[in-house]
Amino acid sequence: MPQTHKPDFPGNDLGDQFRFWPKHNEKIYERLENKHAWLEEKRAAAQGDGKPPATQRSEVDPLENEMILNIGPQHPATHGVLRCVVKMDGETIEKSVLDIGYLHRGIEKLAEHKTYQEFMPYTDRMDYLSPYSNNVAWCLAVEKLADIEVPERAQWIRMIMSELARISSHCLWLGVGMMDAGAVSGFVWTFQEREEIYSIMDEVAGARFTVSHSRIGGVANDFSPRAIEMIRDFVDTFPDRIAGWEGLLNKNRIWVERNKGVGRVTKEEALELGLTGPNLRGSGVPYDVRRFEPYLKYDEVDFTIPVREEGDCLARYFLRLDEMKQSVRIIEQCLDRMTEGPIRSDDAKEAYPSKEEVYYSMEGMIHDFMYTDVGTVPPKGAHSYHAIEGPKGELGFYLTSDGTGRPWRVRINAPSFTNLQAMEHMLEGEMVADTVVIIGSLDPVMGEADK
Amino acid sequence: MSKPDNPRDENPKNPEELRFHYTPTDEPGAEQETQNAHAKDTTRVPAVIDALREEFGAVVLDVERYANEDTIYVEKSRIREVCRFLKEEEGFDYFVDLGGIDNFTAEDRYEVFYNLVSTERQKRLRLKVQVDEGDMQVPSVTEVYRAANWNEREAYDMFGFSFVDHPDPRRMYMPEDFDYHPLRKEFPQLGIPGSLPLPPQTPDGDLTMDPFAAAHGSQPVKSYEEPATDPDSE
Repeated sequence: MPQTHKPDFPGNDLGDQFRFWPKHNEKIYERLENKHAWLEEKRAAAQGDGKPPATQRSEVDPLENEMILNIGPQHPATHGVLRCVVKMDGETIEKSVLDIGYLHRGIEKLAEHKTYQEFMPYTDRMDYLSPYSNNVAWCLAVEKLADIEVPERAQWIRMIMSELARISSHCLWLGVGMMDAGAVSGFVWTFQEREEIYSIMDEVAGARFTVSHSRIGGVANDFSPRAIEMIRDFVDTFPDRIAGWEGLLNKNRIWVERNKGVGRVTKEEALELGLTGPNLRGSGVPYDVRRFEPYLKYDEVDFTIPVREEGDCLARYFLRLDEMKQSVRIIEQCLDRMTEGPIRSDDAKEAYPSKEEVYYSMEGMIHDFMYTDVGTVPPKGAHSYHAIEGPKGELGFYLTSDGTGRPWRVRINAPSFTNLQAMEHMLEGEMVADTVVIIGSLDPVMGEADK
Repeated sequence: MSKPDNPRDENPKNPEELRFHYTPTDEPGAEQETQNAHAKDTTRVPAVIDALREEFGAVVLDVERYANEDTIYVEKSRIREVCRFLKEEEGFDYFVDLGGIDNFTAEDRYEVFYNLVSTERQKRLRLKVQVDEGDMQVPSVTEVYRAANWNEREAYDMFGFSFVDHPDPRRMYMPEDFDYHPLRKEFPQLGIPGSLPLPPQTPDGDLTMDPFAAAHGSQPVKSYEEPATDPDSE
């Protein structure tokens, strides 16, 4: 297929290098040229009619300061296949356009062809840094749609594991964030803690990474005594590790100066841009789904929601460290208050039967077969939204049922997607070297943003 | 509960009705409107519904409730004013989500929903507008909620709505060179072969038009020489 069009770069002749998806690239550069920088828009809104001045094609640039730079999609600092097309004036970013979709697998479409339980492994691969939270989010959403009650013990188990997932995700954020700012050794230390969480996941779920342990109507299997011991050990030692990282970073001049005042968002702007999760709370909005509409047993445990007012990368750093400490607190309380009891609903239309039933009783086997084949069947026309506070922010599923075992429509509200949208604006006016820090600080995961 | 038509029947009773190969369960009962193991207080907004009715009257078409969640259907043409009213007068300052639904019906085939949150009043609310296949135009709410920008682009990408006055009407995930809207129900799950050319398999080769090239027997050209294997050595 001959590709004739080439993008019109100022001062650059790229020949026919863009024969692959030419319209796509053309539109991105067109958008970059035509868009108003966020600063321009804010200034225009402050004075008068609210309409920014018509953008002219860039004027003469005798010193050749202006430059269009493609950061990504294959760049180690973009944390996945994120492409930032930025227009720079010297080292300052004037405008930026993000291009995502390089990891788009269409899981909303795929979900329409699977039973509710079958779709769960796909949620592991959304935010692949904290698979357990996604499992829980999906299960809770389906349980709300089909009105399934979950036994208490399963709720405690889910809570412990999603808080571990939060710690694991924040550990990765910290390690990679340090590496973005130049401290490579920190990455290894935080990964050591992640490794311990992997071992716990392995003991609990039988898989280290993509766990798929939660089930609709409960969880797959109970904690073994060894698993509880491992979690206790982890919870006992982890605060010391955080203290160690704080000792390394809190007064570290390089770390503070790389982060302070960078990527700053005020409270109003954060709400306007739709930031979510730690990024929103780092700007002073105390919005946390665990408090806003408590799910599982979050209304029964004692914890605080860390909030910071500064709204820069440093605030988000402090906030995530505080969140990890709170997670440890939650896990401790869960371990103390966990009750004995069943771990899955015993209604055959709500959850899988246990393996003993499947192997040793006829009904159990039939139920297992039926649940795999048809599964949970919510009423026709039912639709509901359930969100959890994932490590990245509000992760919600809006499900619509047509009365069959497969969802009619699954809408995934992914926190990384909303955070990235805000980042497009946040990059403008920053230095190009800070993009790496800002991306790291917002903590996007492309598997989730691209769906 | 009405018995579904036999899908193999030559003359179904009601050909307009979608024919499923399975038995749909009952409609949600009255008790399921509010009672649910996971019901939250935040999703009930009677005061806001009253305020909307008073301000907009017949623009509020219907209110639906399931699992203690209020869904407010409003007229498509006024959605921007409704959103502005909710943001400025009712304190719904935080935009959470927007997306489309394809109901695959003859009339009002599509729906667009808006998920808004008031951080102060601790309330969550869902608006819905119905979009007919013949008129895919929906007023954009980006002017009111800046955060709706990417979500609207995504809805356009996936369903083909055209959001009027959207500042950046591009696709979100799929490349601009793609001609279809994948979340529509008629779009096949495996995609349409040839709709999305993949990179060439050699530096100066042609674009790969078959998404399953390897499965269909295409051998990628190797850029190196394979060492000769000696059949006797094994």
